[in-house]
Amino acid sequence: MTAVIESCKLGKRYHSMWALSDCTLSIPSGHVVGLVGPNGAGKSTLLNIATGLLAPTTGTIEVLGTPPAARPAELSRVGFVAQDAPVYTALTVAEHLRVGARLNPRWDARLAHARIERLGLNLKQKAGTLSGGQRAQLALTLAIGKRPELLILDEPVARLDPLARREFLGELMEAVAEQDLSVLMSSHLVSDLERVCDYLIVLVVSRVCVAGPVEELLATHHLLSGPRRDPDQMPPGLRVISASHTGRQSTLLVRTSGQILDPAWTVSQVTLEDLALAYMKQAAIRQLEVQR
Amino acid sequence: MIEFRLDGRSGVAPYLQLIHQVRHALRLGLLREGDQLPKVKDVAAGLAINPNTVLKAYRELEYEGLAAARPGIGTFVTGTLDGGSLAAHGPLRRDLQRWLAKARRAGLDDESIEALFASTFRSASEEGIA
Amino acid sequence: MMWLTWRQFRLQAIVATAALAAFAIALAVTGPQLASLYRADGMTTCGDSGCAALAGDFLSDAGSYQIMYGLCTVGILLAPALIGLFWGAPLITREFETGTFRLAWTQTITRTRWLASKLVLPGLAAMAVAAGLSLLFGWWAAPIGQAARLTHGSFPLGMGPFSLPDFDAHGIAPLGYAAFAFTLGVTAGMLIRRTIPAMAVTLAIFAAIQVAMPLAVRPHLFPPARTTVAIGSFAGAEHVGNGHFSFNVMDLPSQPGAWIISSQAVNAAGQSVSSSAACEGRGQNGNQCLARQGVQIAVTYEPTSRFWPMQLAETGIYLALAMVLAGYCLRRLSLRRY
Repeated sequence: MTAVIESCKLGKRYHSMWALSDCTLSIPSGHVVGLVGPNGAGKSTLLNIATGLLAPTTGTIEVLGTPPAARPAELSRVGFVAQDAPVYTALTVAEHLRVGARLNPRWDARLAHARIERLGLNLKQKAGTLSGGQRAQLALTLAIGKRPELLILDEPVARLDPLARREFLGELMEAVAEQDLSVLMSSHLVSDLERVCDYLIVLVVSRVCVAGPVEELLATHHLLSGPRRDPDQMPPGLRVISASHTGRQSTLLVRTSGQILDPAWTVSQVTLEDLALAYMKQAAIRQLEVQR
Repeated sequence: MIEFRLDGRSGVAPYLQLIHQVRHALRLGLLREGDQLPKVKDVAAGLAINPNTVLKAYRELEYEGLAAARPGIGTFVTGTLDGGSLAAHGPLRRDLQRWLAKARRAGLDDESIEALFASTFRSASEEGIA
Repeated sequence: MMWLTWRQFRLQAIVATAALAAFAIALAVTGPQLASLYRADGMTTCGDSGCAALAGDFLSDAGSYQIMYGLCTVGILLAPALIGLFWGAPLITREFETGTFRLAWTQTITRTRWLASKLVLPGLAAMAVAAGLSLLFGWWAAPIGQAARLTHGSFPLGMGPFSLPDFDAHGIAPLGYAAFAFTLGVTAGMLIRRTIPAMAVTLAIFAAIQVAMPLAVRPHLFPPARTTVAIGSFAGAEHVGNGHFSFNVMDLPSQPGAWIISSQAVNAAGQSVSSSAACEGRGQNGNQCLARQGVQIAVTYEPTSRFWPMQLAETGIYLALAMVLAGYCLRRLSLRRY
């Protein structure tokens, strides 16, 4: 399977602060990839570098096999919806579609208009007067209308109400089903992504904590609860991601490729949210230790 | 055509929920042989889930012999679930009604009845009886 | 992209057209009146010698048009600055502040083409507006200009073709200023990325350059002509007394409308002098005393024939500056340093 994004030790520094460091990823095509992490973790930085809006400080990155946005041909293969879905507030919805048509050789006018009609957007309405959800849908239509191979979305649903959120993700999934699209979207809430993503990347404090297909991650991570046990005493081949203890009980989130054979443990399913949160907590703890 | 729902908090994987709903519909007779299952993109759009999840469910149904994909047209129901319709299980239904009446007389409320049934069902499944 | 540029520029174009139209209407209404006054005062029928006397009368008759003249001059001087502020500075900063650059730069268009498109349309429009204003004003003020050229010594309205406001508000110079102010605004916007600070910086730099140009650059564009004149045969200030003297030539009768760059009192040998013991305390007769001493005034000036060459040279300089700035912006944008 070809990789849509391939990066090697990618880093971006602003003045003295590293917004992204040592980021090595190989994101396969044909997936809806979720990029999660707390605010300030470097998600936007990574996405802006992938779309060619930012130049990295160190490392390399290739998007669809070439450096990002190197030439117009590459620009036409990647669609982007930036944070807060920026649109030209003085232009009407119809004029936005015209912009899309004029600026993109592979623009599919029929598809774009069909979407707008289905969404119920008024062609003559100025984009500045649209609601947040409608703006996000307009921006998504512009990105999808150019028939990209990869769609990158920066926190697309963060500011939307639940209904708008559901409608946006529904539209996105339909495009994925219809057009064989790869998607990379970021969010600081895992719950946004759980239903739609089949590949997860967790980014905390500018570093990648974990990256992999959701199915594989859920199969190899388990929640163990049982009598109090020190994480260091766990058998090898089993990596403890997070541990919490009460007086006589321990709850551990572990990663292992094998089976849990110890009968003392009650093994339960882990949700994607638990998984991401555990990694984020672990990274935050490590960061504190480094700072000390 | 069947309409799918997803319970995000049930802890059951989405693709399994879809499979269960198809089987449930088949049992109740809401879905019959030859009916078309909703298109992948429509389910993905309506529920806002990854199309691969729907594909996985449909493939599993195909594997179980309950559905078949016709490329370019859609996925269609090809099998039925043994046991025919629930109506054929009259004696079982009457036994159940009697048991429910007993439970109510013992003072159990709805929640207790459900909990009692669920835990007994689970432990019985684990013992490989159900 | 041109369509998008036009659509984003549309409001500014409408405002500019309206302003230009108002300007044109005001001039079109009063212009014929001024022209008929010119005719009525006999300026069109007088011979070369007779005109000079009539010119003075005409100019005082046309006194009520002075305000209009002044306003138009101010307007034409301000136009490039306004263009720099409202067309140039917001061109890119608006996209940074609303985040639409993230939309624009991910369409299938390189940043260079994007910016080039955004520069060409307003840039040409800026030059067209400036040229239009200058042309209309030149047509309207022709009678006054003619008359002023003929009156020796007194220049009502502070006019000579080279006097500061008039050189800047006539001919093709406004075209150069407009192009430069526009690209200056765009550059400031690209570097500062915020609209209001970019506007402030644009205004400051443009004003500074507009002041510096006539003082520091314009006198050196062409080698000036030199001449010596006798004391008293010019118009200007004289200060004689206590043995010290200085002369400030404002105008040469033999060269009406010339731009006096500098004037120096010189002795018979051509060296500059500023004091003479022999003429100390002569008071009223100081001038004659100095004249008898052989003191004359050396004047460096640019004749009126230099008006158009200077206009072309200066416009050329400003257009070159505009090109340099535009090239810098295009290059810097393509380097992807954001």
